[in-house]
Amino acid sequence: MVEATLYGDRKVFTVSAFNRGIAVWLSRLPELWVEGEVTELRRNEAWANVFFTLKDPGTGACLSATMPRRRFDALGLELADGEMVQVQGRAEVYEAKGELSFRGATIERFGLGEHLAALERLKRTLAAEGLFAPERKRPLPRFPRAVGVLSGVDAAARGDVLTGIRARFPPAWIVVAETRVQGRGAAQRIVGALGALAAHPAVDVVVVARGGGSFDDLLPFSDERVVRAFASCPVPIVSAVGHEQDRPLCDLAADVRASTPTEAARLVVPDLDELRAGLERARLGLERTVRRLLERDRERLDRVGLRLRTAPRLLLERRRSTLDRAGARLQALSPRATLARGYAIVRQDGEALRDAAAVARGTLVDVELQSGGLAARVEEVRQ
Amino acid sequence: MTEEQRSFEDLQRELEEIVGKLERGDVGIDEAIRLWQRGEELYRRCAVTLEEAEGRIEQLASDARDTGAEDL
Repeated sequence: MVEATLYGDRKVFTVSAFNRGIAVWLSRLPELWVEGEVTELRRNEAWANVFFTLKDPGTGACLSATMPRRRFDALGLELADGEMVQVQGRAEVYEAKGELSFRGATIERFGLGEHLAALERLKRTLAAEGLFAPERKRPLPRFPRAVGVLSGVDAAARGDVLTGIRARFPPAWIVVAETRVQGRGAAQRIVGALGALAAHPAVDVVVVARGGGSFDDLLPFSDERVVRAFASCPVPIVSAVGHEQDRPLCDLAADVRASTPTEAARLVVPDLDELRAGLERARLGLERTVRRLLERDRERLDRVGLRLRTAPRLLLERRRSTLDRAGARLQALSPRATLARGYAIVRQDGEALRDAAAVARGTLVDVELQSGGLAARVEEVRQ
Repeated sequence: MTEEQRSFEDLQRELEEIVGKLERGDVGIDEAIRLWQRGEELYRRCAVTLEEAEGRIEQLASDARDTGAEDL
């Protein structure tokens, strides 16, 4: 219990009592982890504690911290000024001076290696969810109505993307969203800007352009929220973030990764000159093909027309020769051929005679010879 | 379908069938003459169709030369 002195209705604490009170109150706060850069690390074999300052690299805000020297030494961290650490502990007040400090129970280095390990864990988790699966990748539209470009404020990367797009496809409609892309709050801002771009009714594809930067500068693009926003972007998204070797996680969630802003421009709009040349080639091909088809039809018709005119003549000729042959055979069978050999036909009343007994003596008969005929009277009938 | 509505390919097919029949020669004279007349009619129709198509192609090609891709 903190003692106070009463002066009338005024309750007054001594400095010690006040500090003591704050200390008691702070001791009720839970233990937690704080992350920051180690600076002003002071360690002395004669001291029971090590002293250092934790600095927020984003804002420069500082927090004094202490830790039992034996525990600190036992970890063998060999920390140097400027290294990122995470300290577990709680707030406390140095009662002699009324100074707030953070009392560390344990400390872990959180440098590049730890960052990379944390990123690797996040990458595995998201990959297991299928966020990076190849079958999720969508093809980019060939003719986007509008291209959304997300970039940092006054970023050179944006200039490269816009120049690239306009050079290839001058009539392109570009919707630009500028936002903070590094430092505190960048991840939320990127997510917000991306959502706004994708919600634009004409935006059919989004390019996220960010030039190269330090590992920390590019960290927001590996932030889980940003990576998820990339994966769930309703229109195809091209990631042109950092350089090839940076491999921010958003690259894996994007539909396409572009190695440079100019490459991104090449991916999202067609080259107008090439389109025109292609159209011209297609038109020429069209004309050539149609002409060739027509020529083929024409030749085929000519051939069939010729056959049409030849066939009936051939057919008639064949009939004619068949007829001629029949005529010749008829000729051969005709009695006239027999008459030519000296035979004669004898008729009575137009009927050819075959039997002498059928004729009476004195009857008048006609005799037909090969040439001309005779009217004759029967002188004698021989049986 | 009326004769006018029939396609070029359809008319040409009938024409080739007729020519085939005439070339095989297994038809009577009267039938042959009838087929020949029919064949000539089909040939004329096909030729007219081709000439019209050629005319249209020349027209399109000349129109096309007047419009470049830059005008699109």
